Amino acid sequence: MGVRITVTVPMLLSDCTKGRSAFELEADTLQGALQLLVAEYPLLKVHLYNEHGEVRKHVLIYYNNDNIAWLDKLDIPLAAGDKLRVLQAVSGG
Amino acid sequence: MGKRVVLLIGTNKGLFQYSADLERKNWELKGPFLSGWEVYSVLGDSRGEGESVNRIFAGTSHAAYGASIRVSDDFGETWRQIEDSPSYSPESGFSLNRIWQLIPGAADEPNTVYAGAEEAGLFVSYDRGEHWRELQGLTQHPTRPNWFPGAGGMCLHTIIIHPTNKKRMWVAMSAVGVFRTDDGGETWQARNVGLSRVPTGQPEDEVGRCVHKMVLDPANPDVLYMQEHGGVFKSIDGGDSWFAIEEGLTLQDGDAPFGFPISVSPSGDLFLLPLESDERRMMKGGKLLVYSMRPGSNSWEPIGDVIPDEVRHVSVLRDAMTVDGLDPYGLYFGTTSGEIFCSLDRGVTWDRLPGQFSRILTVKTWIIEEQ
Repeated sequence: MGVRITVTVPMLLSDCTKGRSAFELEADTLQGALQLLVAEYPLLKVHLYNEHGEVRKHVLIYYNNDNIAWLDKLDIPLAAGDKLRVLQAVSGG
Repeated sequence: MGKRVVLLIGTNKGLFQYSADLERKNWELKGPFLSGWEVYSVLGDSRGEGESVNRIFAGTSHAAYGASIRVSDDFGETWRQIEDSPSYSPESGFSLNRIWQLIPGAADEPNTVYAGAEEAGLFVSYDRGEHWRELQGLTQHPTRPNWFPGAGGMCLHTIIIHPTNKKRMWVAMSAVGVFRTDDGGETWQARNVGLSRVPTGQPEDEVGRCVHKMVLDPANPDVLYMQEHGGVFKSIDGGDSWFAIEEGLTLQDGDAPFGFPISVSPSGDLFLLPLESDERRMMKGGKLLVYSMRPGSNSWEPIGDVIPDEVRHVSVLRDAMTVDGLDPYGLYFGTTSGEIFCSLDRGVTWDRLPGQFSRILTVKTWIIEEQ
């Protein structure tokens, strides 16, 4: 059994996540949770990642209080109560 | 059962719908749908069967979240994102930023839909939008390394299918030009001879023509018309060559006639919304004037003062003017300040429809059987 964590996504993307902007996932590692997120909700993939599999320029994915782009590795064991948040970087218009 | 006329209005803040009976006088407004998404392209398609007989396709995009196609089979009440939307492979080196155009396939192919993308590319679905594939003959054209994006993005904004020979199609791309296929999209040839050249800084002479919008003559499929960045042009040989048709259009001495949309009615009336100049890009003096060239004429006339007592210092974008197929036909356009205008007398007098939106990106008509 993996560890249950909370995931939040912007309301705009909730049509990719069965209408929910907060839900739970079970995984062992952060990497596993990121893979499971788009496996379970494949419509999210195009909105979070570009053609090269990189997180889009104005999308932020936070693991607790850390932008995953800051992390040296993603193979981090998850702990109960961890949070994964998809955020839109500040953009105008 | 009667028919209803639906106007689909794509804005940079969602999609709206007007509907009216065939008189087109009392418009009912619904929306916003797809709130928060840019809707650069939309298609109302009644060629389906069963529950999806009336399907709306919307090309949705967002500055942060990229682009995909969403469909509704209940006039916008609910939407479904297409998982296998148009996309480029990592190897292509291209990014899919927006969907600029959605058009139905040939009359005998009710499940076929085409999509024009930014970065410029052409996609096709043979199953009514569920799966898409790129027609790579276009993006693998030898001139592709010299395609240069205009400031609005390198968009494929116009797709035209020959009415009786579906193997022949034309596409037009901003800052690139016109390409034609005669084998159903497998191979393409640039068709830009005679067009003015905008400075793209690229060495390739075959491309670098900034087509803003192109239409096919309803009576003669060898005849095309376009509003180009540097003028207004006509072809009488299927795009093999082009010549200017600009008499009556000069708004500012020394400037080529500038604007974005061009429309043609079922009877061959052509319409433009000229802007003051390339540099200013607004209605001259705030006067919202529609120009028309009637069949048999060689010159443009300012036939419609849309809102005579007020000024509108606005523009109209390339996909924001359209004609319905009714008799008499309706002509519609939406402005960058979010107003929709309608004429039922060949563009001479105009009504402003109720409501005001954000920047209007696309206006399409859709004739449906009343439920």
